[in-house]
Amino acid sequence: MNDAVTDPTELTEVTYVRVFDAPRELVFACMLDPKHLTHFWGPTGMSTPLDKIVVEPWVGGAFRTVMVNDATGEEYASSGVYTEIAEPSRLAWTENETPTTATTDFIDLGDGRTEVRIHQTNIPVMFTTEEAQAGFKTSLDRFAAHLATLTA
Amino acid sequence: MSPDDEQLDATFAALSDGTRRSILARLALGEATVNELAEPFDMSLPAVSKHLKVLERAGLISRGRNGQFRPCRLEAQALDGATDWIERNRQIWTDRFDKLSAHLRDLQAPPTGGTP
Repeated sequence: MNDAVTDPTELTEVTYVRVFDAPRELVFACMLDPKHLTHFWGPTGMSTPLDKIVVEPWVGGAFRTVMVNDATGEEYASSGVYTEIAEPSRLAWTENETPTTATTDFIDLGDGRTEVRIHQTNIPVMFTTEEAQAGFKTSLDRFAAHLATLTA
Repeated sequence: MSPDDEQLDATFAALSDGTRRSILARLALGEATVNELAEPFDMSLPAVSKHLKVLERAGLISRGRNGQFRPCRLEAQALDGATDWIERNRQIWTDRFDKLSAHLRDLQAPPTGGTP
């Protein structure tokens, strides 16, 4: 049976792109060196202490971080394994917590700026597109309505 | 790992299989028995049961107590957890890029010698 509103059976990917006003070698170093990672790895409201970052910069090496919530002290550990290290153009790692892999491409824009593209793969498509989520929710609403008639 | 992380881990592991995602898509349309689920997938009952066990452990479905048929239903809450993960993930990378941008500015700023 394949008449779901949207077909959520595909695995998909998301890409985050940002242009940085810095040379490619420096941007690449920032993504691989704990001394740099500690400055930006934690999102807003979180820190990533230097002593809690492990980077083994070779294929098969570990990439481990602990993000600490600045307000509560709660810790969030992540770990992965590097699958590609091609200085200064590409960095890839798997993420142990999810089936996703992250590939980071560093593109020299030729004017002193660098484009960074983080590409995550193997994410179930049902979570990534608004359309898919809306489709899924519509189905759920229908399902809830159906349940309501059963229990009325 | 926190219990939340373990739940998410189980959710993503369960979702990594195409057949299981198809089963969820079917259940999004309404509950179904194992027999009903097995039919369109051209699978044996034990094979479908195995997939259902994985989905049940991940909290993605629940099984009714209705005798031998034990209809399966989708548990939307577990999906919410995974949907939230995607949204958090997007926010995390946006924040990281903002911070990296600031860090790169600091790294490349000319030394000020203590006076602005």
